Amino acid sequence: MDFTIRAATLEDCKDISRMILELAEYEKVSDQIKITQRDLEQDGFSKNPFFHGIIAEVPEHLKSRDGHTKVGYSLYFYTYSSWKGRAVYMEDLYVMPEFRGKSIGKALMAKVSQLGLAAGCTQLNFTVLDWNKSSLDFYRKQGCWDVTSDLGYHCMRCEGDALEHLAQGDL
Amino acid sequence: MANFNLRKAEPKDVPDILRLTKELAKNEEMEDQVILTEKDLLEDGFGDHPFYHCVVADVAAEHQKVEGYSVIGFAMYYFTYDTWIGKLLYLENFYVMREYRGFGIGSEILKTLSDTAVKNRCSSMHFIVAESNKASIDFYKRRGAFDLSLQEGWRLFRIDKENLQKMSAEE
Repeated sequence: MDFTIRAATLEDCKDISRMILELAEYEKVSDQIKITQRDLEQDGFSKNPFFHGIIAEVPEHLKSRDGHTKVGYSLYFYTYSSWKGRAVYMEDLYVMPEFRGKSIGKALMAKVSQLGLAAGCTQLNFTVLDWNKSSLDFYRKQGCWDVTSDLGYHCMRCEGDALEHLAQGDL
Repeated sequence: MANFNLRKAEPKDVPDILRLTKELAKNEEMEDQVILTEKDLLEDGFGDHPFYHCVVADVAAEHQKVEGYSVIGFAMYYFTYDTWIGKLLYLENFYVMREYRGFGIGSEILKTLSDTAVKNRCSSMHFIVAESNKASIDFYKRRGAFDLSLQEGWRLFRIDKENLQKMSAEE
């Protein structure tokens, strides 16, 4: 299939927002989305962006049933391992269902890897839901390993009231 | 003993940051995994585009329990992004030397970081903990953190440099 991978621009935020919702629906959590198109514009395309994006685009004659040419995306940012140094974190990777099986996902991930390596990173990290068998299989085929299983590391979160209380010094 | 001072790390703290990082890794029996050098830490934390931020806890000379060390604790963090809820503060490393535990230094560090998270309009604070580290898990849960891996099924995946290079070379 004919497609291109390129850096996301401010104008892509509308489609990124659309695809974030599609991905959330797939992960069965669309009611948890608080981020708007405006937030993406501010947080990703200002002087100190909190994330970077890449888009997979098809030519007009191959557009989706709903008329979209932007058919996949990945959002990533740079992190730091206090043991190994610079790392890249892939926050989202998504390809619209009707464009799957054409190596677009693989190409998006390859691009994030290239960008990460160019920035001096020695690892790429991301999270996957334990029931998402097709994604788990895809990632294992790319040479990824499960840090949670192998090393017993659990992802923890402190949010909302708990975060506020912590900031106040309450126990 | 209450006389400790929490402050933003400076370039001169880099040797202590590395020392404490190695001490923490030793506690997890992973000391050989720390390949980061003082040069990396200096470049990556105090250049034009820092990959991390650090707070350190230091004690005045008369309160030193361990000869020669005034920096006795630290936390390393950076800002990340969740496409559902926006900006997050990620706690990469958090450690207080054994001789200085039980004085509220850890709690004070966490309070400072939570305050930083709230002031920067972060929705939450994220971090990973080894499931075998019961003391740390209890410490965090007492403060309102919850386990995303257990509760929502998120697994942390990683690709190391060799496979990153293979992936980035694929067309």
